[in-house]
Parts: sequence; structure tokens; C-alpha cells
Amino acid sequence: MNDRYHSIHKGCFNSSKMRKVAGLIFLFIATVLIEVQAGTHLQQMTLHEKNTPVETIFRLIEKQTSYHVLYDKLEIAQVGNVTVDLNNGSVEEALDQCFRNQPLSYKIFSSTIVIRKDETKLQKNAARQQQVKGQVNDDEGQPLPGVSIKIKNAQGGTTTDAAGKFALSVPDLNITLVFSSIGFSTQEVALAGKSTINLALKAESKTLSSVVVVGYGSSRKSDLTGAVVAVKSEQLAQRPSTNVEQQLSGKVSGVNVSTNSGRPGGNTNIVIRGANSINSSNNPLYVVDGVVLSNGVTDVSPISYLNPNDIESMNVLKDASATAIYGARGANGVILITTKRGQQGGQINYNSYVSISTIARKLDVLNSAEFDAVQDASYRNAAKYDPVGFASGKYRDPAAVRRSLPELYDANGKARFDTDWQKEATRQAFSQNQNLSFTGGSAESTYGLFLNYADENGILRESNLKRYSGRFVLDSQIKPWMKVGGSLTFNSVEDNRVDGGQGGLNVTRMLVETLPIIPVKFADGSWGSNAAYPDMEGGENPVNLEINRRNIFKTQSAIGNVYAEVKLLKDLQFKSTLGINVVNQTEDFYSGRFLRQQSADVQGESRITNTRTNYWQSENYFSYNKKINDNHRLDAVLGISWQHSDREASMAGAQGFTDDFYKYYNLGVGSVPLAPTSSYEKYTFNSYFGRINYTIKDRYMFTVTNRYDGSSRFGSGFKYGNFPSGAFAWRASEEDFLKNSTVISNLKLRTSYGLTGNSEIGQYRSLSSLKNSTAIIGGVRGSGVGINTLANPDLKWEKTGQFDAGFELGLFKNRIAIEADFYYKKTTDMLLNAPVPTSSGYTSIYKNIGSLSNKGIEFSVTSANIQSKDFNWSTTFNIAINKSRILALGDANDDIFPNPFFLSNTNIIRVGEAVGSFYGLIREGTWGTAEAAQAATFNAKPGDIKHKDVNGDGAINDADRVVLGKGIPTGFGTLSNTFKYKNLDLTVDLQYSYGNDILNLSYHSAEDRTGQANSYATVLNGWTPTNQNTMIAENRPSLAGYTTTVDSRMVEDGSYIRGRNLLLGYNFPAAVTKKLKMNNLRIYASVQNFFLITKYTGYDPEVTTYADNFAQGITFFDYPKPRVFLLGVNVTL
Amino acid sequence: MKYQSKYNPLFFILLLVIPGAFSGCKKYLDEDNRSNYTQENYFQTADQAQAAINNLYASLRTITDGTGTYAESPYMMLEFPTGLANTEVGQSQYNNTLRTLSANSDNNYFYVWWTNSYNAIANANLAIERIPGINMDAATKKRMLGEAAFFRAFYYFHLVRIYGDVPLLLKPINASSPELYPERAPLASVYDAIVSDLTTAETSGLPTADVSGKLNVGAVKSLLASVYLTMAGYPLQKKENYQKAADKANEVITSGAYRLFPTYAGLRNKANKNLGEFIFQSQYQVGINTSSVNQAFLPRARKITKFSDEVGAVTPAPEFYNSYEAGDLRTQEQQFFFSNYVSVLSGQTVNFGSQYIFKFFDTEAATTAQSDLNWTFIRYPEVLLIYAEASNEAGGPTQAAYDAVNLIRTRAQLPNLTGLSQATFRQAIWREKYHELAYENKVWFDMIRTRQVYNLANGTFDNFVGHALPAGQVLTDKYLLFAIPTREINNNKKLTQNAGW
Repeated sequence: MNDRYHSIHKGCFNSSKMRKVAGLIFLFIATVLIEVQAGTHLQQMTLHEKNTPVETIFRLIEKQTSYHVLYDKLEIAQVGNVTVDLNNGSVEEALDQCFRNQPLSYKIFSSTIVIRKDETKLQKNAARQQQVKGQVNDDEGQPLPGVSIKIKNAQGGTTTDAAGKFALSVPDLNITLVFSSIGFSTQEVALAGKSTINLALKAESKTLSSVVVVGYGSSRKSDLTGAVVAVKSEQLAQRPSTNVEQQLSGKVSGVNVSTNSGRPGGNTNIVIRGANSINSSNNPLYVVDGVVLSNGVTDVSPISYLNPNDIESMNVLKDASATAIYGARGANGVILITTKRGQQGGQINYNSYVSISTIARKLDVLNSAEFDAVQDASYRNAAKYDPVGFASGKYRDPAAVRRSLPELYDANGKARFDTDWQKEATRQAFSQNQNLSFTGGSAESTYGLFLNYADENGILRESNLKRYSGRFVLDSQIKPWMKVGGSLTFNSVEDNRVDGGQGGLNVTRMLVETLPIIPVKFADGSWGSNAAYPDMEGGENPVNLEINRRNIFKTQSAIGNVYAEVKLLKDLQFKSTLGINVVNQTEDFYSGRFLRQQSADVQGESRITNTRTNYWQSENYFSYNKKINDNHRLDAVLGISWQHSDREASMAGAQGFTDDFYKYYNLGVGSVPLAPTSSYEKYTFNSYFGRINYTIKDRYMFTVTNRYDGSSRFGSGFKYGNFPSGAFAWRASEEDFLKNSTVISNLKLRTSYGLTGNSEIGQYRSLSSLKNSTAIIGGVRGSGVGINTLANPDLKWEKTGQFDAGFELGLFKNRIAIEADFYYKKTTDMLLNAPVPTSSGYTSIYKNIGSLSNKGIEFSVTSANIQSKDFNWSTTFNIAINKSRILALGDANDDIFPNPFFLSNTNIIRVGEAVGSFYGLIREGTWGTAEAAQAATFNAKPGDIKHKDVNGDGAINDADRVVLGKGIPTGFGTLSNTFKYKNLDLTVDLQYSYGNDILNLSYHSAEDRTGQANSYATVLNGWTPTNQNTMIAENRPSLAGYTTTVDSRMVEDGSYIRGRNLLLGYNFPAAVTKKLKMNNLRIYASVQNFFLITKYTGYDPEVTTYADNFAQGITFFDYPKPRVFLLGVNVTL
Repeated sequence: MKYQSKYNPLFFILLLVIPGAFSGCKKYLDEDNRSNYTQENYFQTADQAQAAINNLYASLRTITDGTGTYAESPYMMLEFPTGLANTEVGQSQYNNTLRTLSANSDNNYFYVWWTNSYNAIANANLAIERIPGINMDAATKKRMLGEAAFFRAFYYFHLVRIYGDVPLLLKPINASSPELYPERAPLASVYDAIVSDLTTAETSGLPTADVSGKLNVGAVKSLLASVYLTMAGYPLQKKENYQKAADKANEVITSGAYRLFPTYAGLRNKANKNLGEFIFQSQYQVGINTSSVNQAFLPRARKITKFSDEVGAVTPAPEFYNSYEAGDLRTQEQQFFFSNYVSVLSGQTVNFGSQYIFKFFDTEAATTAQSDLNWTFIRYPEVLLIYAEASNEAGGPTQAAYDAVNLIRTRAQLPNLTGLSQATFRQAIWREKYHELAYENKVWFDMIRTRQVYNLANGTFDNFVGHALPAGQVLTDKYLLFAIPTREINNNKKLTQNAGW
């Protein structure tokens, strides 16, 4: 006979309805059937049981009498141990003793005793309740607020207030209270009749006790076998920012966060332990409260839209032991984000800051006098470089030009204007960020409401990002055996990106290239531009672009998840989660009627692009946590996951506007509609995963995981891949020979090996998809269809095998905590968009080809240098050194030249070289007068750029190109010091990177050629007969011929040390906050990017202006970086 | 048994059952692409076949569309090394190095011509393989196959003249085809395929004229005439093809479908699209696709039109302008050239101080900044001149040959040619071709076909190798072929590079 049974509602997703979200939740129905047997008994019994589980008592009753005891296991689970002392008493007496202080009662039906929950007794108990109060301090005697106090084995609890005080109603004074607080050892206190408790909680080593979130569960840091680093909200808050990635920067060794643009919202790139993949994404997988974030709708990373203030912790999973549970998509590391939840006791938190950003660095460009001088020199030199053209009068004397431009030059030929475009097009930008949260609840149910408003202005005029976000969370223990909850986050982000556009429409380029002799506006109100001076390339005034071109991204995203956690057996839990991530983005683009090149010819152009990404996942898993005995523990997880993402996009647009008023708000005004477009794409995942952790004596820990992953993205026979891992850790400090060591307080050695995968290649790559085109037949549109992609039915998973060995060492009671890891990763079957001979009609094919390796060392140390009552000083230092190497590329190991292509190939993937290698000619300098004859054999003259003829064949061509550097750093890290004096704290946070080069392509147009636009001031150091030892060619009009190609001159050392953050904070003392009826009050001021030391000549060495995989460090005019001055306040009520 | 309060063992069974239950849902991981067909499921209907053919027409625009860093148009590649074209765009490295004969195989034009041509060929190959399987009207099917064959020949004809021996691919390529990495096929076999395709197209039931811009049989015959003429010259030198060229050209002439416009303004009149002397054109239409050719020829930044960028990418070498016979109407203001214009912005006459190309000037676009003048690939005067040259080579100048060339000279208000020897007639035709078809991508191919180059100073013809361009650079035999693009050689080790590159 069953007293409980469960049925699982299951279905196949083939049926369209069952594909729907709702169909994915498993329903567990529990029913209790009671069997009652007839018969009466009157029996005596004897019991002497101290602190015995109540179930044991029942069993003894059954043994000594003929009663059956029926009960709900979950109800008695709250009772715990009881004491019964009875000599020849009745069953009733025994039970009365048992349930004296318990919310249970019993009824006897003939020979059956039925145990029931007793609501009236609960109330009675409440009436009889007594008060316990007290004070909780830390071990230095400071009051501890927020300590959680719970009644052991029963319901009810509270938290301490700001002064560390608490008061609690208890059923009687014989219970035990459990005091717990993050960072402190949990302590149990038996009241034993006392009604006042004063207690000092012992601080625990944070690194050991802290709970770390891992895939499908959590673990104490000390129990981990993998390389997992948790970053808590307090650490993130040290660097206030609208962007969570920027807050993460430097917090975890081996996690390289590059903020590649000064644009609000950042254009940030995160790479963990080196790049594994050549064509698929190298970004980590982001999982927010269990919901995988699908890739962003634009080039923006999906977590950019999160409100950093919502985040409780970010857990970075680095090695295969940790990431293999995410199998298919774990190869680049996984970042698990847990958001803040509600907590007991009402709390209101307000966190606000305001900031001013200014341009941190300006580039040296020609001013008006210098520009004219360069023009004059160029004109003189034209005769040398193009004698035929010069003789034919092709070149205009700048002096004559100046005379013909009275609005720009006075009668003496002196420029009327000397515009600093970097000043005119930038600004001091004011930003603000407001956060308000409400949390509350009881021991059973907690809730939280989190609100955010951020308004970040960029230093380029008009660039702006606004975010409104709201989040609601609820967690409830609705039944002793069931917990349900969920969260819903809504973000609305609107940003105006002014730095889009190509060529002379690129604002960041025109900051440099707009002529200083041109005013922002002429006296008649018309915009100045390079077109006002003859023979210039048609670049537009950057201020005009900023104001009259609109590129606004409106993104609304909802991230939601609901879960139900059911306790099936004492040690077995089932959790079902349903997650959604819906992103709607509208890109509004309008380019005004007076913007040359872009839209003047078409009388204004407007486009509205809508993209809707719809993602859902259903994950269901069992967790089994069994303490077999004191020496053996077993944790296991087994589950299944379904994921689905689809995306629809559409575009409508028009040209030919009667004026600029309408922008994108009334496309119907446009006289020429653009052909509308729309598209659909979809991918699905189906996965099975499992993990077993086995711990012996808290010393030897074993983890085995496996994920069997299926993706729609691969060829029909290769959908599924298997991703196993195994790990072992040894807590040597728990061994007898170290247990009592005064030096070593913690030592853990761990190692792991596992396989993870990568599938981020986009959709339909294995298929021979066609694409459409437009023919014009008889003056009307005729639809065309032609080839697009070259099918690869054998397309399969890219796999990365990763070996990791590491140790964690705590010295002197963990005042010094060291963590170090060595890893070796080898990626095989690389998913490569491999070029094919274009004679096939195609340019590339997605295939699995070759392998590469990454090996590296990560080291971090945290040290409490000084610990005293009033003064504390702690230091954190971390470094990550990574070396990547291409091991093989297809059958013939042929080189591959990835994008961005700029004049020539910019990058090379070559066996034996690092990924992200730059490729080009070697610039030796300029040809000297003495070398005229030799120069002539290269079609050059003294004063021309001299490239190295590497193969000595007498010609400069592709064969002379070599590897020039690499965009990925050799090493990078952080040095951070925090000083605390009483209530003041000061953090000095430095960031460094070395071994990375920058390919600064802007030299092409701002130095290699002159006479088309303004130039870098470096052209003043151009070759002259008296200045022959220079890298820079003699000035001449570009029409007279010049040399430019990707070469070593463009490659610069990008190593740097940055003062990332300087933060001074003050926590008001409890005495003050108490008067203000606050729990906590903190004010702080910060300067971010407060210095930068680098040899790099551009705005900032943390840069890329291309979205391609290995474009890190490649720039062609970037958004300048700000220095940010910030003032904030944090209030908790 | 006294009591029962155990949990159902069903749980543990379910643990095993749940994953099993879902593994049956194989379709869940199927690719679901609703935006595009794949090759496998396409080519089922006549309309689908038509769309595949339409795509070939669309591909013609790649020859004039801007590509690369400075929106260089591929057709410019064939103009700069002739020495007839200068430029006012200093920053365009690809143009400048061709103009100064200092290009290397990295020059993007080589890649763009190669890639775009082979892409169109792959589309034609797919159509030719798949359309026969479609259940549709037989006549329409035959015509479509003829169109696809024409396009394949059209692109191979460009390839073989630009690069010499090229891979000859006549079937669709997939990832496992050995032809994914092809070798260069001998030039003669490429020409054979071109002739075969054009012969197919010729008999596929194409109309004699089609004002909508679709292929007509005259275009096929004209191209075939040009192919025969080229085969008769360098490097194949199949002299017997002169007669074939003359015959094909004559079929076009005698068809009566084409006539010269009475004035050169007819070349710039949009009402004449696909009519009169325009035998085969790339189509443009404002609102669908506009042309940038017009803008490229405008004198740089003289503010005579509403175009925000008057590019000055291709300007005539003064030496060439001066090489026209005195009194040639084509050299008069606003015929083929112009040296001033009344600005549509200011209403003032702007004097340029030198000649610019007016041949393709779109008067309407001057005020709208939107040009949809078609780009012409085959123009009737070319057919007339092919006939004159080919028949002269086949047997000396005939009256019909004189008639053909004099039709062109009459429009230019030049005296008729009479009484010339075969050799002098030959050079007279060549000169006429330079003057009539300049900047239409014809001159370069004639230079390498004849290996003779017009000496602008004295009106005679120099050998190609050793001829000095007006700016002083000297042609070498390296330039008889352009380079196989670097990127293509990098990706296909079976390719060899042309001599000198």
C-alpha cells in the first residue's frame, strides 16, 4: 500500500501545444492514503529517551504496543528530537510528552495513532510564548547588524538591528537558537531558561565559508574541486558603473574584461583564460538565476542591459570541472549571476550617485598654422613626386587657395579659425544613477522590489544611455516540502550611439580629421565642413553628425524565471525551473538632409529596424545530498534541459524627406521607400546533465560531471555531443600533520580535466541556404534568388579539453590567502569559417578544422596587512599569464587571414603563432638621399616610406609580410589596496596589462597621407632632406602618390598601467544612523580612470573598433575614454 | 508488516523514464529556416526558376558598384592602365597603382573581378543543372537555360581576358567536390566553353529585342562576335575566327533591330534605355538601385550638381582628348566631353580648365543627386566596328565595312573613310574604336588582343610591350594579364601566378 504517489505529466514536444512554455513544467501530485485498521488497545509502556528523533519514539511505541503510527514525514520533520521519560505510562502520556512544545497532536483510532498538525496548539503556543532578547557582536566587540536568528528545529526567527540587538518570541526557554551571518561561523545557543543572550560571533575566513554558486546548485568554497571565483555585490559596488562588466573588471584573475570604447554602455569584451575559438564566439556563457542569456541583439553583450545593483554575486567558472555541467557552451567559461533576493525583516535601500565625465586624453593634431605649413610643404614637394602632373597644373598653390577663401582666411592669408574639434565635439558629461530597493518577508516567504534609473551621458555630444529597470522577486516555503519562487526583471534601455558610420561620417574619425581652419558653424549659421576647402576628402563636421544623425537603440528586455523545489525524500530534491528572456529592440536611424555622403544626395534617410528575440528554457533536475556518515558525503545532480531561441527582425525605411522634422516618426513622408526586409531564425538545445560530488572526511573530494548536449546548429548526424569532466581536490590542511599548524590555516590542492564545447556559430551553417537579390526588369523590381552558403552536412561540435591544477593556501589564520592555477586547454575541431577558393562561387565554409592551445597561470593573493581596531589595510593582487598557439589548421596547415581586412590582411592565423596576430610589412623608415638608386628599383624616391624586402626578391609584395604583434595580452591583472580607518575607507585600484599590441590603423589616413584631411601632428616630423631619420614620409598631396599599407609603424606597444579607481567612503557611525532611524548610511566619492601610463599614442590601449573575433587591439578611430568623477550615497532603512 | 509510510518506488523509475520520454522528440533539433530556401528544396516551380535567372541580371551591377575602401568600381580597373584615364582621387591606392603600373596582386580589383564573376558563374551553373528538372513550359525553360548560358559565357569572357588560364567550372560545387580546389584550365578550353554557351543561348528562343532590359538574341550574337574577334587575336590567334566574327556581327547589323541615335544626347536619354544602339545594359532605377557611375566621372568638387560628392575618379588624359581628329563632334562641348557647366546650385557657369567626361552625364541627376542611367555593356557601334575590323582581316576592306565605320564617322561629323589598304583600314578602325568606345571597358581588351596601343602623340600604333603611357610608365609583358588575386592563391595552392606578378 502506498502512502504517497506521484505522477509525472510528460509529453513530447512534437505536438505544437506541448511545445509551448507551459507544457514544460512537470507537475508533481502527492496524495496521502491512510490505512486504518480496526481494534482497540490499552497498553502500558516505558520510555527513557533523551534527545531522540520523534520517529524513533514512534517506532518504540509500535514495538512495545500493538499500535500503528501513521504520520506525514514532512510534518514531523520540523519536530526534530524530543525527550520522553516514562515509566509504565500510557501511550497518551508518552505522546503528550513528545508533543508538549510541538505543533502536533494525535488521535487514536482503534489500533492506529494518527499524527496531525495542530493549528490550535500553534496558536496556544503563541499565546504562551516568551521573549528572548540580546545583543550580537563580532569578536572585536563591534555590534553586528543583520545576523539571522532562527529557532532550531522549529519555525520563527528574526535578524539583529543596526546596533546588533534582537528580540524574539519563543515557545519556551528550552529551545536552541541558531545565529548565522555571512562571514561568521554559525553558532547555536541553547537558552536553557535564559531570556537574555549576549553573544560574540567569530569571524570566519570569508574565502572558505562563502557559498559559491555552481551550475545547478551551490557549494561551500571549501568543498569545491573546480576553479570558481565568486564576486560579491560589495566588491562590485566598489566601482560604481552603469555597466556590470566594467564592475567585474579586475576582480577575477584570468578574466580579461576589455572596455573597448568610451561610449556609454561600453562595447565590452570578456575573455576567460584566452581565446579558444577562431570563428565562434569567445565570450563566456552568462546565466542569470539559472536563465541562459541569449546573445545580444546587436554587438552589445547580453549582460550589458542588466542593472549592476541587482546583482548579489557573480560566480566565474573557469576550469572544466566547473564548466562541464554547461557542456556545449562552457568552453569559454561560464559566469553565473545571482540576483539579490528578498530577506526577512523590512528593509529599504537607496543607492544613488552622480558623476561628471571628461575626456581623459586628447590626441595631438595639426592646428591651423601647422596645417597651412604642411599644405605649403606638400605643394612644393608635389613637383618631386608627380612632375608630369605638377607641370600640367594639376596642383593648386595653397597660397592661392587661401586667397580665394576669404571666409576662412584673412587678407594676410592667416586662418580665421583654429578649431579644436576634440574639444568642440566632446563635453563634460553629467550622469546619474538611482537605485531603490524594498525587501521584506517572514521566515517562510520573502520578497524584494528593486528599481533603477540610470542616465549616462557620453563625452561625445549627444551620446547617451538611459535605463529604467524594475525587478520583483518572491521566494516562498509554501509547504514544508515545497519551495516556490521566481523573479521578473524588466529593463528598458535607450541609447544614442553617435559613433557609428563609416569614412567621413565616422564622428570619432572626424574628431581628428576635420580641418582646424574650419569653424563649427559659419556666421550665417551653416555648418562648416572640410568641403569648404578644396581637394579634401568629403568628411563631415563631427558636431553636425552628432546633432543631425540619430542612431537610437531602444531595447526592452524581460528576464524571468519561476521555480519549484520539492523535497521528495529526506535527501532527494527535485527542482523545476522555467526561464524566459525576451528582448525587443528597435533601432531608429535618421540621417539628415544636409549630411554629405550619407544622406544629402537622397534628401534624408530613415530606417527603423525591429528585432525580437524570444528565448525560453525548461530545466528539471534532481539533487541528492546524502551524508552517509561522518566520513562520507555524496551530492548528486541529474537533470534535463530544453532551450529554444527564435528571432524575428524587420526593417522599414525611406529616403527623400521634405524636411528633417519627421525623422523616423513618419516614414510615409519619404518619397522613396526602401525595400523592406524581414528575417527569422531559430535554434534549439536539448541537454542531459549530471554531477556527482563525493567527499571523504572533508578532505578528499571527487567530482564527476557529464553533459550530453544536442544543438540544432549542427549537421543532421552530429547534433549531439558528450562533455564529461572529472576533478579531485585534497584539503591537506585537514590532515593531522597540518591541522594544528600555526602557519598554514588552509591548504587545498585540486586538479581537473574535462571537455567543453562551443557552438556559437549562428544558425543554419550546415545548410546550403539561398539568398535573395533584386533585379530591375522594365524599371520595376524583380526578385532574384541565388547561392549564399556552402553546405557542410558534417558540421559538428568544437571541443576544448582543459586540464587544470591549482591550490588554495591560507596563511596565518587566512590573513594571507593565495590561490593559484595552472591550466592547459586544447581546442580541437575548431569551428572555422574557413575561406574557400572563391572560384566555387562561395567565399567560405563553416567547418571543423585544426586545433589551438592556451596555457596559462593565474595567481591571486589577498592579504590583510594590518588588522587593528581602528586601522585596517588589505591588499589584493592578481595576475594572469596566458599563451596561445595555433597547433594545426586543416590538412595543409595553410594560413588563414581573418577580418578585419583593411587595405590588406590585418590578421593572420598561422600554425605556431599566437591567435590574434597582426600581419603586415616591416617599415624600416624612409628612403634616404643616399639610397636614391636603390629606392628607384622599388619604384620609390628618397622621402618615401621604406619597407623591408624580407625575401630579398627586389619587390615589396605579399611575400614580405610577417607577424607584427598580437592583440591579446601576455599578462594582465590588478593591484588593489584598501585602507580603513575607523569609519573611513579608501580603495586604490590599479589595472595593468602587458604584451599586447595595438594595430592603430588610423595612421593610414591621419599620417601616411596628407592633403585630404587634417593629420596627426606627427606629420610635422615627416622626411625632409635635413630630417631623414624618420618613419614618416615626406609631406606631399596624396594625389602625387603615397604609400600606405598595414605595417609595423601602425603596431604599437599596448601595455599599460591604469589607475582604475580611487574610492573614498565614509560609513556614518551607529550612533548617528540610529538618530536618523537608519540602519546604515554611507557616502563615497570616486575617480575612475584617474591615470594611465602607456607608450600607446591613441586615446586608450583598451580598444577595438571592430566586432571580429581577433580584432582586439585593432582600431581605426575610437570613442575617447572618459575620466569619471563620482559622488554617491547609500542609505539603508 | 505493521505500517507503511514509504515513498513510491515510481520516483526512481521516473528518473529513468523522463530522459527517455524526450529522446523521441528528434524534430526538436531540426533546423527551421523560414527566411530562405536551401538548394535542395528549391527549383520546384517555374517562378523559382525565374527568380534564379533574375539573380543573374542583378549580378551585373557588381561591375559598376563601388567596392573597397574608396568605393572604387571594378570597371575602373580596365580604364586606368590604358593611360587614357587620370584621376583626381588621391587616396585611392588601387586606382593609383594601376594608373602608374605599380600594382601588385593584393590590388582589390583583382579579387573583386574574380570573386564576383565566379559567384555569377556558380549561380548560372546551378540554374543550368536544376532548371531542366522543373516541370514547366518547355519553351520558357529553354529560354531560361539560354539566358543562364549567356551569363556564364559573359563572365568567363571577362575572366579569360583578365587572368588568362582560369579554372573552368561548369557544374555546381559543393564541399566535397574535387573542383572546390580547381586548377587553371587552358585558355582555349575556356573559349570553347564560351562559344558553346553562346551558341546554346543563340538558339534558345530569345526575343530579337526586349525593352525591359532582358537578354535579346542580338546581344548574344554581338557578344559571340566579340568572342570570335578576340579568339582571332592574341593569345589564341585563331585567324579563321575573323570570318566568324564578321558573320555574327553582320547578323546583328542586318537584323535591323538596332540603329545609332541621331545625336550623342541619345546616350544620356533615359527614354532610350534598352533601345536603339543599346544592345545589352545593366539596369538602374531610382527607388530600387541607383548608379554611382555618373558621380564618379564628375569633375571633383566643382559644385555643379547636387551630388554632395563630385568624385573625379576618372578624368580623361588630355593627350587622349587631343588625339581626336579636328572637327570630331565628339570633342565638342557636352558631347563626349565637357569643360564647363552651368551649376545647378549657383546658376553660374563653372569653368573647369580642362576636359572631363560627359559621355555618361545624367542631366536629371544633376538636380536630384540620384542617377539611374543604365550602364552599357554592348553598344551598336562596337558591333559595327567588330564587323569592319573582322571583315577587313578576313579579306580586306569591303564596302559594307566602310559603311559600318562611316555610319559612326558621319554621326561624329567626320569625312567618310575610303580607299584604304587593309593595314591602314585596320588602324583606322582601331582609332575609331578608341574614340567612340573610350571609357566603356573596351580599349584595354583591344590593347591586349591586338598587342598594339594607340600612340596618342602621333596617331600610329605601338607594340604593347614598350609602349609608354602619357604619364611616362612603360607597358611590359607582365601587363598582358592581371594578377591572380593574392587571397585566392592563398586559399588554393593549385593556382599558379601569372608571369611577373
